[in-house]
Amino acid sequence: MATKADLEAFRTSVTCPDDFDDFWSGILGHLAKEPLEPSVTHDLMRSNDEVKVYQATYRSLDGLEIFGWYSVPAAGDGPFPAILVLPGYKSEPALRRDWGRKGVAVLSVAVRGKLPSSAEFNPGYPGLLTHGIESRETYSYRGVISDCSRGVDFLLSRPEIDSDRIFCSGSSQGGGLTLATAGIRAEIRGGVSGYPFLCCYPESMKMLRSYPYDELSCYLRANPEREAQMLETLRYFDGVNFATRIKCPMVVGVALEDEVCPPETSYAAYDRLAGERELWLFPESGHGNAHDYPKQETAWLEQRIAASKAEWAVS
Amino acid sequence: MAGAAHRCIESGMGRLMTPASFWDRTEAQLAETPLDLSIELDTFYSQPEYDVYQVRYSTTGGHRLYAWLSVPKDVTGPVPALLRMPDYASVHDIIYTSLRQNAVVMNATHRGQRNGDGAYRASYPGLLTDGIADGESWVLLGAYADALRALDALMAQGRAEIGNVALWGTGLGGSLALALASRRSRVGAVAADTPMPLGHPSALESGLGYTLGEIGDFLRLYPERRADVEATLGLLDPIGDASRVTCPVLLSVGRFDRGTSPVAFAEQLGETLPNCDLRLYDGASEGGGHIHAMARAAWLADRLEIS
Repeated sequence: MATKADLEAFRTSVTCPDDFDDFWSGILGHLAKEPLEPSVTHDLMRSNDEVKVYQATYRSLDGLEIFGWYSVPAAGDGPFPAILVLPGYKSEPALRRDWGRKGVAVLSVAVRGKLPSSAEFNPGYPGLLTHGIESRETYSYRGVISDCSRGVDFLLSRPEIDSDRIFCSGSSQGGGLTLATAGIRAEIRGGVSGYPFLCCYPESMKMLRSYPYDELSCYLRANPEREAQMLETLRYFDGVNFATRIKCPMVVGVALEDEVCPPETSYAAYDRLAGERELWLFPESGHGNAHDYPKQETAWLEQRIAASKAEWAVS
Repeated sequence: MAGAAHRCIESGMGRLMTPASFWDRTEAQLAETPLDLSIELDTFYSQPEYDVYQVRYSTTGGHRLYAWLSVPKDVTGPVPALLRMPDYASVHDIIYTSLRQNAVVMNATHRGQRNGDGAYRASYPGLLTDGIADGESWVLLGAYADALRALDALMAQGRAEIGNVALWGTGLGGSLALALASRRSRVGAVAADTPMPLGHPSALESGLGYTLGEIGDFLRLYPERRADVEATLGLLDPIGDASRVTCPVLLSVGRFDRGTSPVAFAEQLGETLPNCDLRLYDGASEGGGHIHAMARAAWLADRLEIS
C-alpha cells in the first residue's frame, strides 16, 4: 500500500506547454461560435415525485450531438444550484436522482464515444485513450473535454439553473474530467475529483499493467518511434496541467491501493491545485471502491452548495 | 416469484412457461444454433506474457456475441481458465487480472453490449425492463442463454486445452455465473460479487436504487402490469438454481446495498448454495471493495491451482 510519504515524494516529469492556455482558449473560442442547440425531452419512466428527469442533448466540438441525463427538482421553479457529473471510462453516465430531493439539478454527461453519444464517434473501449493521439488536434480527449465544457454551457442555457452555483464531480475518468473542466471553465464553483484518471501519463503507464493506461503501452509497443510525439500530445490533456489553473475549491480523493490510477499521480494533481483544496486518503481501498467516498462526496457538495447560497444572498 | 406460487404466463408457443420450461427451451435453442466461432489474434493488445484474441460466436435469436480471450504464451497441456461473466453495462473491455499470465481468461458479452450489439443495442438503464411485461419478449432472459454459450465458446476456442474452469461475475454477471454453474458440471468454482436477485422477491422491494430501481421505474409508470412483471421475473429461480451448484462459491455483498444485491437475498442464497463462503462487508453496491478484490484473487488462484 502506498503511504502519504510515497505520494509526497513522487515527482512527475510532466511539464506544461507554453501554449497550453492558447490551445484551450482557441478551442473554447471555436465552441462559442458553434450553435449549442440544447434540447430536453421529459422521461416519464425515470421521473418521480421528487425529480423530473429529462433526456438532454446539445452540440459540441465538430457538431457532435452529446447526450446527458438532466434531473431537476420537481418542487419549485428554481433557480436551482447544479452539479455537472462526468463519467468514468467504462461506466455508464449516472442518473443521479438523489440530488433532486435536495433541491439540486444534475446534468450527467455521456461524452462522445459513450452510449448514446457514440453515433458519430466510437473508437471503443479499449481504444478511446489512444484514438488520434498522433496530434493534439486529432486526439480524442480534445473532443471529450469539449463535451464537458459544453455541459457547462448547457446548464448556463437553462432558465431554472442558478448560473453562479454550478459544481462538478466525477470519479476515475470523471475525476480527471472534473479537473479539466474546472481548469478551463471559471463558472465551476467547486468540485470533487475521485481517483482521478488522466494524470501524469508518462509515469502512470509505467507504474501499472492495468487498462486503460496500458492502452498507451500497447500503442508504444506497436509504434515505438512515436513515443515523443505521443507524450507531447498528452501534455495538453494532463490533469496536473489543468490543476494549476483551477481557482475554485477542489477535493481530490485518493485510494492508496488504487490498481487503475496510481495514487501518486492523483496526489500530484492535488499538489498542483492553485486554489482552496482538500485531500481525502482512503487506505485499504482500490480504484473506485472506498466505502466512505460516496458519503464524503455528497456531504462536501451539500455543504458547499449550501454555503454558496449564503454567499449569493450576501452579494 | 421463485419459491412461491407465481402466475405462469402463456408463451408464444402456446405452453405455460415455468423456470424449468424456460431452461428446457433455452437448451434446445442453443443446441439448434451453430456456435460459428471465429477467433482473431489481436497483436495490438497482446502482451509479452500472453496473446490476446478477439472471439466472435453465435447465440440464440440470431445474435453474434464477442469476447476478449487471452492465452498464456508457451503453455502445454491443460491450462486453467477464468471465464468472466458480463456486467450490466455497455462497455466490455479487457478486464485486468493478475491471473492472465497463468490462465486462459475470457470475458464474454451478453446480447446488446458493445461489440455484441449488431442485432440489438441495449441501453443502461433500460435493458432490465426491456420487454419485462412478457416473458416471451424480456431481452434479459437471452443473457442467460448467452452465459451458457460463453462456456461453449471457451471450450471450443482451440488455442489452449482447457483445464479447471472458474467463473467470476459482478451484479448481473454474478447471477449469470451462478445460473451457468447450476447447469454445467464443467464449472469448478464461482466467485459471485453482489449478484442481482432476478427472480427473487427482493428485486421488487420498493425504494431500491439503480440497478434494480429500474423495475420500480417501470412499475411506477405501469402499475397495472405488476402481475405480468412478477410472472416474467418468476421464470428465473436463483434460489432453486443455487441448490444445484455443487462447486465452491465465493459470494460477496455489501450490507448496505440497496440497488444491486440486497443482503436478505444474499443471505438466503448463501444458505442454499451447498458449498458457499459468504462474505458480508460494510459496504454498499461496491460490496467488499479492495479487501474482497484481494481475497477473490487469492481464492480464484487456489481453485485454479495457480501458485
